[in-house]
Amino acid sequence: VGAFAAVESLSATSAEGVLLDTAAVLILLCAFACLGSKLFDRYVVYYGIQSIVLSFAAAVVALHEHEPGLWVLAALTFIIKGVGIPYGTRHFLIERFALKRDVSLSTGLSSSLIFGAFLTAFAFLTISSAVPSGLVAEAVVPISTAVILLGGLCMVVRRHTIAQLIGWLIMENGVFLGAIAIVATFPFIVEAGVFLDLVAAVLIMIAFVSGLARQVAEATSPELRQLAE
Amino acid sequence: VIALALIVVVLPLAPALAAALTPRARPLGAVAAASSIATLGVAIAVALDVSGGRRIHALSGFIYLDPLSGFFVATIALVVALASFGSGAYLRSEEERRELSPLQVRLYFIFFAIFASMMLASFETGNLGLLWVLIEASTLASCVLVGLEAKAVSLEAAWKYIIISSFGVTMALVGTLFLYYAAGNLPGSPTQHLTWDYLFAHARGLSPESLRLGFLLVVIGYGTKVGLAPMHTWLPDAHSEAPSPASAMLSAALLNTGMYAIIRFQALTGPALGTRYAAHVLLIFGFASVLVGTLFIVLRGNFKRMFAYSSIEQMGIIAIALGFGGVLGYYGALLQILTHAIGKAVLFLTSGDIVLRYRTRLVDEVRGVLSVTPLTGAVLLLAALAVAGSPPFGLFLSEFTIVRAGLERSSVVLVALLLVMLAIVFVALVGAVAAMALGGSPDRPTAGPAYTERSSRWLAATPLVAGLCALGLLGVWIPGRLDTLIMHSIRAIS
Repeated sequence: VGAFAAVESLSATSAEGVLLDTAAVLILLCAFACLGSKLFDRYVVYYGIQSIVLSFAAAVVALHEHEPGLWVLAALTFIIKGVGIPYGTRHFLIERFALKRDVSLSTGLSSSLIFGAFLTAFAFLTISSAVPSGLVAEAVVPISTAVILLGGLCMVVRRHTIAQLIGWLIMENGVFLGAIAIVATFPFIVEAGVFLDLVAAVLIMIAFVSGLARQVAEATSPELRQLAE
Repeated sequence: VIALALIVVVLPLAPALAAALTPRARPLGAVAAASSIATLGVAIAVALDVSGGRRIHALSGFIYLDPLSGFFVATIALVVALASFGSGAYLRSEEERRELSPLQVRLYFIFFAIFASMMLASFETGNLGLLWVLIEASTLASCVLVGLEAKAVSLEAAWKYIIISSFGVTMALVGTLFLYYAAGNLPGSPTQHLTWDYLFAHARGLSPESLRLGFLLVVIGYGTKVGLAPMHTWLPDAHSEAPSPASAMLSAALLNTGMYAIIRFQALTGPALGTRYAAHVLLIFGFASVLVGTLFIVLRGNFKRMFAYSSIEQMGIIAIALGFGGVLGYYGALLQILTHAIGKAVLFLTSGDIVLRYRTRLVDEVRGVLSVTPLTGAVLLLAALAVAGSPPFGLFLSEFTIVRAGLERSSVVLVALLLVMLAIVFVALVGAVAAMALGGSPDRPTAGPAYTERSSRWLAATPLVAGLCALGLLGVWIPGRLDTLIMHSIRAIS
């Protein structure tokens, strides 16, 4: 019995398949919304919505697989990524340092959106042939790859530390989406450990950003040039 | 042995508990030194136990030890011991100068302890997912150490470090997922599909396409931690801004942890893909790293950065050795991992003494270390010679082995290229350090002795002398048990 026997039975036309596909598309849209926004508030809101949709996707897979571990992960995703991290970022960073507009873009919004569209097309062209057709994974795996690439793009074109933080979190959401779609049976203890690391990383990053914001007027990476060589 | 293996992970946490009780660097340094020596003893016992080729498998592979794990546990425990002694002295000096607040001293010892414990734990698991979790946890703990001084520059270095390595490590997670996907057709439970020894026994059945992509992503991901070019950009900043004992841990322990993960994944690719694929990937990244390291060592600005670029170059040499493969290649790689770890730990600890004494990190502002502090100066000079690969030190022997492996299994052109770059590094590194150590008397008055108390001086001097003696010894004589351990490590992965 292969590891994906259960996932392979999840065809794109089943009720769960349709729900999962819809969730994946919404997650992709949230990544684009983040890429197309300039306001710090919005980044956080879009990331929160994306995480909540992701927690529903995890719940759908949990329902299908009867995996108690996935239910726990879905709940954790909702509470921590959907509510906790957006609230924490807003409360400790954006409101405390009165951050409004992210002006430190290295490319214009429209060009970064167009580039994002290219990356999405690239993900579909390269990945979809590797995934067996007719299954829900056929759409979800390329989408999760696209979300990983879009998160990376956010980190590259935005220079503000908060934008880089959100970009990394979007990447992480893409990885999680791919993980639940193709390898739903990933051992729970490992997934839980990954989650714990993520939370620790976010806490440390928030501490660094607020430390930087206190010392440098705008904590953007163009000002972080002292170490350039 | 499982009990001993658990002690190796728990014991380094003692300073973290002590830090909850007191913020003073003096008792904390003593606890750190004592616990690290005890850890080293237990780690060596573990390594000796598995040196004969014994494998220990428990908790469905979440605990797994083989000779390769034993080798790395002993190596990293040695680095932790050297750096713990250095930490006690360095932190007390910083505390006296009011450079660090009591909170920062506490944080240092807490995260130093977590850093050490997570790294040692990562060698003792056979579950590749848990390996990822532990390596990421050790990275996060080390980020706090890099940003500890909370100046704009050190926060900048810490930010760069955490963002680049999180990005990289996410790639390693995707690579691990691909490996898991590649194991989909194998019989066995999902947990077994992530367990190294199960996968190694069934490596022939892994599906080649996912495995190929997975290995590449893992090399990019963990390679970011190892400092392989072009993913190395965080490394010089983090190494130069961290407190020096923490730099020693980064360079001598953390980089090797990433290399350990790459070795494990390389072993899995052989049966399904043939050894050439992984070898080519590693040779490309290895030569890129040696080239980048060589070019930047020549610049000679900040000496901690220079040592950091030397680490990039050394990691490149190790990747090249793994790429050459064969018993000689692996033997050279493992010996190089051990000798570089000792040499670089000693070098970064001496750089800490120099920073405390001269209050600068620029090569050109440091002169006459040998006359100002004879011991530090002598160790600096000898350790630089050792790291640059001069006989009679251990790195000469390991680099010689790697060159022989290259001649035997690869082309003469590659070996010649490697030798040219090694020669350039030798001239640049030894030249710069000789100018610092000899070079007449300092242009401006130094900041006074690095350590005021006698006990601090002992704490600072012990790891320097001990490390240098070990390096000298390994250059002329490899103990029989170490040789058996390395040979059985190679057998465990081939």
